[in-house]
Amino acid sequence: MSAPLLEVEELRVAFGDTAAVRGASFTVARGETHCVVGESGCGKSVSALAVMGLLARGGRRAAGRLAFDGQDLLALPERAMARLRGDRVAMIFQEPMTSLNPAYTVGSQMAEVFTRHRGGSRRAALDRAAGLLAKVGITAPGMRLGQFPHQLSGGLRQRVMIAMALMCDPELLIADEPTTALDVTVQAQILRLLAELQRELGLAILLITHDLGIVARVAHKVSVMYAGEVVESGPTPALFAAPSHPYTRGLLGCVPVPGKVRRDEALGSIPGVVPRIRPGFQGCGFRDRCAHAAPACEGAVPRQQAAGGHAYLCRLPPGWAEAERAA
Amino acid sequence: MTAPDDRGAEGPGGLDRPRRDTTPAIEVRELRKTFRIRGGLLGQDRQVVAVDDVSFAVPTGGVLGVVGESGCGKSTLARLILGLLPPTSGDVLVEGQRLSAMDRRARARLIQPVFQDPFASLNPRRRIRDIVAMPLVAQGGIPARQVRDRVQEMLARVGLTAEQGERFPAQLSGGQRQRVAIARALVLRPRIVICDEPTSALDVSVQAQILNLLAELRRELNLTYLFISHNLAVVEHVASEVAVMYLGRIVERAEADALFRAPRHPYTRALLASVLTPEPGLGVPDVGLGDTLPDPANIPPGCRFHPRCPVAEPRCARQAPRPVDGAECLLLEAEQRPAA
Repeated sequence: MSAPLLEVEELRVAFGDTAAVRGASFTVARGETHCVVGESGCGKSVSALAVMGLLARGGRRAAGRLAFDGQDLLALPERAMARLRGDRVAMIFQEPMTSLNPAYTVGSQMAEVFTRHRGGSRRAALDRAAGLLAKVGITAPGMRLGQFPHQLSGGLRQRVMIAMALMCDPELLIADEPTTALDVTVQAQILRLLAELQRELGLAILLITHDLGIVARVAHKVSVMYAGEVVESGPTPALFAAPSHPYTRGLLGCVPVPGKVRRDEALGSIPGVVPRIRPGFQGCGFRDRCAHAAPACEGAVPRQQAAGGHAYLCRLPPGWAEAERAA
Repeated sequence: MTAPDDRGAEGPGGLDRPRRDTTPAIEVRELRKTFRIRGGLLGQDRQVVAVDDVSFAVPTGGVLGVVGESGCGKSTLARLILGLLPPTSGDVLVEGQRLSAMDRRARARLIQPVFQDPFASLNPRRRIRDIVAMPLVAQGGIPARQVRDRVQEMLARVGLTAEQGERFPAQLSGGQRQRVAIARALVLRPRIVICDEPTSALDVSVQAQILNLLAELRRELNLTYLFISHNLAVVEHVASEVAVMYLGRIVERAEADALFRAPRHPYTRALLASVLTPEPGLGVPDVGLGDTLPDPANIPPGCRFHPRCPVAEPRCARQAPRPVDGAECLLLEAEQRPAA
């Protein structure tokens, strides 16, 4: 893996008096899947939208660096950004029904993406669309092109979204909770499809999810977000082998895993609720819910290297969790 | 079927009438529900079989987990048991009494729902304390003071403060709203709670809080749950027995431990294989279900699962399986009776 295709450094986003993203940094390389994981309101979706220049009105974006294939996105005029979106960078969202236009057929929506960015005839675009529908595992693609979104099941719609995202051979695919609205069986199929496409096309994938199970199974790298910050990040095996931020550990404890917790025992849980962070907030955003909180957590928090080769944002020293368990 | 649980005899909710301990809390007999879908101008009306000949019993204090994909009929089953929908045929018995013979208020005292979406199921224009009081008020004849006390007690029990009781639903988080829904469900001290995807709209950390709360309340109040979820890991954690639904039928039913340790029906196996546990390196499994999706308006002949079944044989398209030890699969019948 060469230089990263997408570089995000010290990304900040604020809406009014709420700081949604507070200095998030991550990179995605070609052929690599980077998962950003966290719960509602942690800033994971807003980060992706900010990268794409798609923040809702009133959102303010700032960053140390924001680059795609070496090109500075912060300096890029909106018109050039619009050329990038849907072309070299494509996006798919959680609920395909809201991102597909109900009034147009699948074929016309897919063809429009292609003719807008690449020109050429509608006929050629439709041929390409049919080919991509077949590639994402849709049988009878010719018939599907003539159908409207409401005539498709949720799984089919998400496949259509993926096929549409591939129309212009993107280099980066940003997928925001792409399988959350789907049944588990269909989720597995869609995730396998994304992995196959990545192997075949060398796609860089930025996958946003709340599901640590998905992260463990598909991510090469992972960034755990909480209250607008990346609190822990690194290669997936290293992070799962030695999760070091109290939030990451808490979150892992909350996930029911067959056979892990006995029926009469309580699942791990994190007390309290996600705080609303105002600009100028100092210290650790997790301290109000953290069993290890100390006065020091109100000051600057160090980013430390954990034993397995990944970083976490906490005052506790590397290996604290293992030491605690041994004690 | 599990042995009936006799802890219920002194349970705080069972004061009103004497009850034999062997009576299941919920019993469903040959339950069937069909819907008619209008075919439009030229199309023909189509019949959707949402629940097809379902029978089971849940002992007092038990938790029956019901799992299956969207459209399998699990939510229709919940609505039938709550009496929100009349069955096309068959019976629902709650504590030995026919649901259809009970009036609404009696039903509300016995059985209550907790639904998936605490945003949609709470009236946005009422204060939390009034929402929780509603079932008591609807019963009629309970003094206002008693209503107030019972509401406070219930709010405290689910982890909400009196101050939060003064707020409106929009001022609470998703988890707090689900606590409100639970308080409302329990304020009449029912015996049975039907939980339909109670944590699916919540974040994992909040889901864990709510699951723990539901488990505590069940033990404390000796409640019986029907727990519907698409998340098998959640069901594994809460259920004593599990029913797997496919296109309106229960295709496998077993003790939770047995089902998760040794699933028998190919569909149960596929569902279990689809669960993505947070274990890196395992990748995403190929569950082998193919691209055909189940359509409740167009149920395949023979075994209804055969078009997606990775181990289907030609006879599966012709012959409907009978239940053998709680699982409906022709291949399992063959295992059971090799000399037939």
